[in-house]
Amino acid sequence: MRRFLSVLAALATLSLTNCGYNAIQTNDEQIKANWSEVVNQYQRRADLVPNLVNSVKGFAQQEKDVLLGVTNARAKVGSVQATPEVLNDPAAFQKFTQAQGELTSALSRLLVVTENYPQLKSDALFRDLMSQLEGTENRITVARNRYIKSVQDYNVIIRSFPTNLTAMAFGYKEKPNFQVANEKEISSAPKVDFNPAPAAPAK
Amino acid sequence: MLQAKAFLLVLFLCWAPAAFADVAVPPLSGRVVDTTGTLSSDDVATLSRRLLDFEKRKGSQIAVLMVPTTQPETIEQYSIRAAEAWKIGRKKIDDGALLVIAKNDHKLRIEVGYGLEGALTDVTSRRIIDEVIAPHFKTGDFSGGISAGLTRMIVVVDGEPLPAPAPEASHGSDDLGMFLLNPFNPFTILFVLAVAGISRNLLGRLAGSIMAGGIIAAVVWFILGSIAIGVLVGGIISVLSFFVEIASPSQLGTRPGRGGRRGGDGWSGGWSGGGGWSSGSSSSDSGGGGGSFGGGGASGSW
Repeated sequence: MRRFLSVLAALATLSLTNCGYNAIQTNDEQIKANWSEVVNQYQRRADLVPNLVNSVKGFAQQEKDVLLGVTNARAKVGSVQATPEVLNDPAAFQKFTQAQGELTSALSRLLVVTENYPQLKSDALFRDLMSQLEGTENRITVARNRYIKSVQDYNVIIRSFPTNLTAMAFGYKEKPNFQVANEKEISSAPKVDFNPAPAAPAK
Repeated sequence: MLQAKAFLLVLFLCWAPAAFADVAVPPLSGRVVDTTGTLSSDDVATLSRRLLDFEKRKGSQIAVLMVPTTQPETIEQYSIRAAEAWKIGRKKIDDGALLVIAKNDHKLRIEVGYGLEGALTDVTSRRIIDEVIAPHFKTGDFSGGISAGLTRMIVVVDGEPLPAPAPEASHGSDDLGMFLLNPFNPFTILFVLAVAGISRNLLGRLAGSIMAGGIIAAVVWFILGSIAIGVLVGGIISVLSFFVEIASPSQLGTRPGRGGRRGGDGWSGGWSGGGGWSSGSSSSDSGGGGGSFGGGGASGSW
């Protein structure tokens, strides 16, 4: 009888691992860690923006509305909370990615505008800021890719048999993934207009 | 007949995507990997020697990868893939840096590990590329450019305080050890059951459980290098095997001799040695030191 019980105990331990409860936990934590990294990198970009705006202002004051657009987008990003709870709430996740997407668009508008100012482009401070911005955008991309991969692993486990039974028993749902907003806009190449912009009306 | 031809055509078209496949990351055969054949073997040896000396002195790992092109990927995408595959830099310290050159694309990138991002910042990397390496490359002097760039990178990383390089052939705890020690791992459970069962059958209840505990303690000490944890785990196993009769010979279906061999086979599976290159004399590099990368560094062109 004791022999039987001990063998049964060993089997129970083995089957728990196969039911994937531990795997779900591991993957969930991995997602949270990767999400924190994504948020961290977005924050890093947001911190760069004021310096960028100031250095551009020194050479291109007349581009007021573009600079204002960037500042406003950054303020909006700052106001959106990005905690791990965002992952469980698709609406909040959507708001977060939308705010970040707007900052991305505002920044690319700013970059297109700076093409008109060769003095600005050769300024050492501006060049340094540009390399920092490029580095940050690259880090954001890497962090997002890792997050997407970990969400994929997690969702696969949640949906595969037999671990989906464990997931249903404990109430684990699929996690949100990054959507590409405005897919149509992105599929058309951005227009770069090298003609100098008409002089802005008197301030 | 026409249908068959159409079907064959569709089948062959399925191979078309292979034409757009990403460039493979070459294996880490040395510190300087050049698939374009631009660098002479002397250059490769000299540069590798310098990087090896640097690693011995500082502990940080730097490598060079030159490929003809990274299309259809951008050099950033390719570099991070290469860095994740090679894993240069020490584990948890992440002090690796990778210089990737796409010769036909005229693009290069310095990919910097997490631990070096304080020294080789994005701005510094960009400056090294623009001011040191690109001028050489523009004149076609690839070995000179790489050498000058590495010199600069070494100087920058030297200024960064990093943990001292480990003495050679240290075990540490590596993934294989952790895999084997995880108590839920079926192999571990079977191994412990086998050891306990055999010891009890060989020596009787008391002595057998003590011996089982001793064996497990020795194994844990070997993996983790900590006697205290080994004694603790061994003690637990002793107590458990004293009270719970795990298996009889008929259940295991073995004579003690065969059982012992099976226990031994379960163990001999693999000890690959800790770390990656630090022994220096090993000719086969199965990978770097386990460092990870976050996408830091800078790209440039010439």
